[in-house]
Amino acid sequence: MSNAISRRDFLKVTGAVGAAGLLAACGGGSSSSTAANSAPASVAAPSGDAVELSISWWGGESRHEAYQAAIAAFSEANSNITVNPTFAAWSGWEDTMSTKFAGGVAEDVCQVNWNWLYNYSGNAQTFLDLNSVSDYIDFSQWDEATLGACYVANSQQAVPVSMTGRIFYWNMTTFNKAGITEVPKTLDDLMAAGAAFQSQLGDDYYPLHLGGYDRMILTVFYLESIYGKDWADPATSTLNYTADEIAEGLDFIKSLVDNHVVMPLPTYYGNNGSTAANQSNEWITGKIAGIFEWDSSAAKYQDSLDEENRPGFTVGEEIKFGDYNGGFTKVSMGLAITQTCQHPAEAAMLINFLLNEEEGASIMGSECGIPASKSGLAAAEAAGAIDELVAEANGKVMAFNAFQLDPLFEDDTLKADGTGVYQEVFDTIDYDGVSGADVVDILLDGMEGVGYTINA
Amino acid sequence: MKANNAPAVGRTPFQKWCDKYQGLFYLIPWIIGFVVFKAIPFGQSLFYSFTDMNFFNGISEYGLMNYIDAFTTSRITKALITTFQYSFITVPLKLIFALFIAYILNFNIKFVNLFRTAYYIPSILGGSVAIAVLWRAVFRDDGLINTLIKMITFGAFDGPSWLSDPNYALWVICLLRIWQFGSAMVLFLAALKGVPADLYEAATIDGAGKWRQFFSITVPMITPIIFYNLVTQICQAFQEFNGPYIITNGGPRNATTLISLLVYQYAFQQNEMGMASALAWIMFVIVCVLTIIAFTSQKKWVYYSDER
Repeated sequence: MSNAISRRDFLKVTGAVGAAGLLAACGGGSSSSTAANSAPASVAAPSGDAVELSISWWGGESRHEAYQAAIAAFSEANSNITVNPTFAAWSGWEDTMSTKFAGGVAEDVCQVNWNWLYNYSGNAQTFLDLNSVSDYIDFSQWDEATLGACYVANSQQAVPVSMTGRIFYWNMTTFNKAGITEVPKTLDDLMAAGAAFQSQLGDDYYPLHLGGYDRMILTVFYLESIYGKDWADPATSTLNYTADEIAEGLDFIKSLVDNHVVMPLPTYYGNNGSTAANQSNEWITGKIAGIFEWDSSAAKYQDSLDEENRPGFTVGEEIKFGDYNGGFTKVSMGLAITQTCQHPAEAAMLINFLLNEEEGASIMGSECGIPASKSGLAAAEAAGAIDELVAEANGKVMAFNAFQLDPLFEDDTLKADGTGVYQEVFDTIDYDGVSGADVVDILLDGMEGVGYTINA
Repeated sequence: MKANNAPAVGRTPFQKWCDKYQGLFYLIPWIIGFVVFKAIPFGQSLFYSFTDMNFFNGISEYGLMNYIDAFTTSRITKALITTFQYSFITVPLKLIFALFIAYILNFNIKFVNLFRTAYYIPSILGGSVAIAVLWRAVFRDDGLINTLIKMITFGAFDGPSWLSDPNYALWVICLLRIWQFGSAMVLFLAALKGVPADLYEAATIDGAGKWRQFFSITVPMITPIIFYNLVTQICQAFQEFNGPYIITNGGPRNATTLISLLVYQYAFQQNEMGMASALAWIMFVIVCVLTIIAFTSQKKWVYYSDER
């Protein structure tokens, strides 16, 4: 006991230092917002000296393998350049990268989400203007409009890897069990599927699962189908819809839940907590038989199905809910060079190799979506490296979706799993059984908070 | 010690200076680490808490706005209340459970070392993906707990929806923390070993039963360790992050959003370091106040043998 007494002073210090640890975690940041923009003057030419580059990306196992193989091929072709990769799954990746961008310690070449250009480099302070390395990247391989999507703050901050949009995927193994042999093509088909699933398979089976963010995208898809206008002005982020119109869209989602088409969120949480849909037992075993996902996500959802259900995985059709083709397309991801890169010319060579050159593009195939680069697409197709499922989904998305997305739509405050505004809106509808009109103000307040101009 | 007691005769002034300050030299690595990784960020966070510091937009406003927002934004006040609930549930239950198990393991029972190891393992596992998977399997609607409830009630009761019902989700997170009682248990076990056996012998001769011995001898003699565990557990409970992050991500409907989760979200998802710092400082003040209360109260209930 006497030993314990001598620790009294230590105890006092322990209490204070223990609590201080959390505070210390909040104080390490430093603003990088004052970083000067690079003028788009040409950078130093490759010297031939030994150079080390770093590159980062997120993705699944097959994408990791493709990137690593392509990097190995690049290093073989450019023996003086060593490329060090950093990669992981998407979960938590944006948090990591935004902290790196803020600290100025991000990798030389980064795979970036489209809205990152606005969120983390809105003044061109994080990513290099690729016009300064135009001698090493063949810009002519991209359509002007596609390339222009990555032109932010008067700076070509990235080059697009691929374009994407949302489409339905169905598990026809379960649909067949419910007596349905055709993929849903209309709203009536969806409603009929909900009724058939409940009557034929039971209350545990649903034709479709939508998380909070998925529901918001489908709401916009629906409203665009009905009213024929973008969700918001892509340049100014001025909302184009009134509160009543948005409430109508939210009620559309509620009708899908009420008619057993979409699994209620409380039911999903009850069995999965915060687990992603493709890792949920319900998706793996076919109790959830449909998703509304990015065209580049097909493999991830197909691969996670069990042996019985995998053969039934099918790319669906875009559904026309009104007079117009709803839905938007956007740059799926891009490759950018950070301002802190010491060897931008070599970094640009790496990007060109991965996206435009025959060897690199044929290795990358469709692992990051269908290549937006013309030469990259041709090389990947010639090598037979385009996944048929991804190609089918992308073809349908690009042929159907007619609208544009504004960069604030994907702001993390709005779309974050568990805590985002979209999640709060749809949680409130499902838990409290309220209508769209009752929650539209939550959505509008949240949107205004991230910078939307609301005229509703 | 020999070097310090050696006569200074024949030692140069520099050697004498070294003798005098050599302890400080040994401390320099720790001091540098503390200053760089604790003290400076500590001061920075206090400064940021009075600004609208954003990772990418810098600072444009100074004032008390973060603190005002913290106490007027329903999401944050709810998280503060939830954090208090979480701490006031987990700290006492964890201490009671740890002491109970330590008391049992203090007896000479077979395989006692195996049991001690087994009970300590959850503390090592901490918050991980594997634990998240395990916890979801246990608490999902048709998971282990509800299956047991259904079995015990002969199918009359299905059990609650632990992960989706806001009234129950916090308990799932609390149970994870209580389950990880191993480190507190080890300290209790060490304290129990230190209680003099002659006190029990005397009490037995006087006719005191086991319960009387426990409450009149064991508990008073280990109060310094109870106090130590209490303070450290309060500090840890208010900073809990892993459990709610990996299992429910703060949901459903923010029922498990603790203040540390909000700090993370503001800092690393919304890049609002100003608000994140203010929340961290609010939490720091709360922990300090509770710690001061604990230290003040110890005069009434903690027994230190050299003070009496």
